Amino acid sequence: MSDLSETMPNLARVLTPTPPQPVDERTLVARAADGDRRAARALYEAHAPRVHRVAYRLCRDRDLAADLVQDVFVQVFRQLKTFRGESAFGTWLYQVTLRTSLNAMRKVRRLRERETDLDEALHYAHPVSAIDPDLRDALALAIEALPESLRVALVMHELEGYTHGEIGAALGIAEGTSKKRVFDARGRLRAALGAFGSKE
Amino acid sequence: MEDHELDTLLADASRTYRVAPTPPLDPMWASIEARAFAPAPRVFGWRTFAAGIAAALLLGVLGGRLSARADPQPLADASARADRQGDDPYGRATEEVLGKSALLLTAVRMDASSDDARAHLAAQASDLLGTTRLLIDSPVGGDAQLRSLLEDLELVLAQVARLAPGRSRTELPIITAAVEQHELVPRLRSAVVELTATDY
Repeated sequence: MSDLSETMPNLARVLTPTPPQPVDERTLVARAADGDRRAARALYEAHAPRVHRVAYRLCRDRDLAADLVQDVFVQVFRQLKTFRGESAFGTWLYQVTLRTSLNAMRKVRRLRERETDLDEALHYAHPVSAIDPDLRDALALAIEALPESLRVALVMHELEGYTHGEIGAALGIAEGTSKKRVFDARGRLRAALGAFGSKE
Repeated sequence: MEDHELDTLLADASRTYRVAPTPPLDPMWASIEARAFAPAPRVFGWRTFAAGIAAALLLGVLGGRLSARADPQPLADASARADRQGDDPYGRATEEVLGKSALLLTAVRMDASSDDARAHLAAQASDLLGTTRLLIDSPVGGDAQLRSLLEDLELVLAQVARLAPGRSRTELPIITAAVEQHELVPRLRSAVVELTATDY
């Protein structure tokens, strides 16, 4: 082929299969809004893992998280025609994820066994790390013990990497309120982990 | 514990805290696709009803105005003739609009917690608002008591129709206060009962 590309470059170009051009997300969104299910599937595959991770971290139940992922994408695809693109599709998607997850959490709160949640929080810890496993477990327990408003803000900002603006837009609170909640959450965590810190 | 120590812990937690199990993406997609791309009959039914009522009223109002120019008889006579003939489209339309509005305003007070719910309620209010204004301009508006009710309803529907995600925190209490101040829901229900009693 390399010889052909030197001697007959035009023919080489025709014979060389053209790799499919990546479709940008705006185009996928527009096609999905028109009912293109393949475009919708592409959006789903690109974002579902993160949506699932966020939902699971917030609701702390694997079956509920799977249900929430489906509810989120059904809502999003049904409302796609109204999405004006003022923010990135992912930003809007994760706002819907937050709202849907928090609403579901409020409904099932009374049914959840706290001890089971703590076991799940510890069970999936990553095995390889320089962090003291006892300290990691203590942090998980301390995060679980936070009031919901502080825990959600901390998880979204510190663990999931959302900006305060994105958290504010999703929760319907001011950016400053998100910052304060994370600040307060961090203060409580430092207080809870104080014994470990003094040993360092 | 120092801030930088907590930062290190939280960076580790972003990988280890509540690590989500692998989501079943393919089965979830099958469910999402079936639900998201199915028609939503309730919305279509609502909009079809509202469009039909609005069109019928518009024709009625325009027809009444044309006949008023040709015929010096007051519009109320034409309406009375229609009543005697057992055909009262204005009465039926009024009954439907007042009943739907009572349900809408109850939903605004009880279930406007999410942006999606508010967007849905705003769309319904917008449809009802157009029909309400046509009724005010129709022979129905000649009844002082009904006109007063419709004009109060018009003001509240206009506010609900403008509900936007970022403004609901200030607007919802104002709308709820206006509904209670004008005793709108009980008045709407009483009017429906009276109209129904007149029909039968």
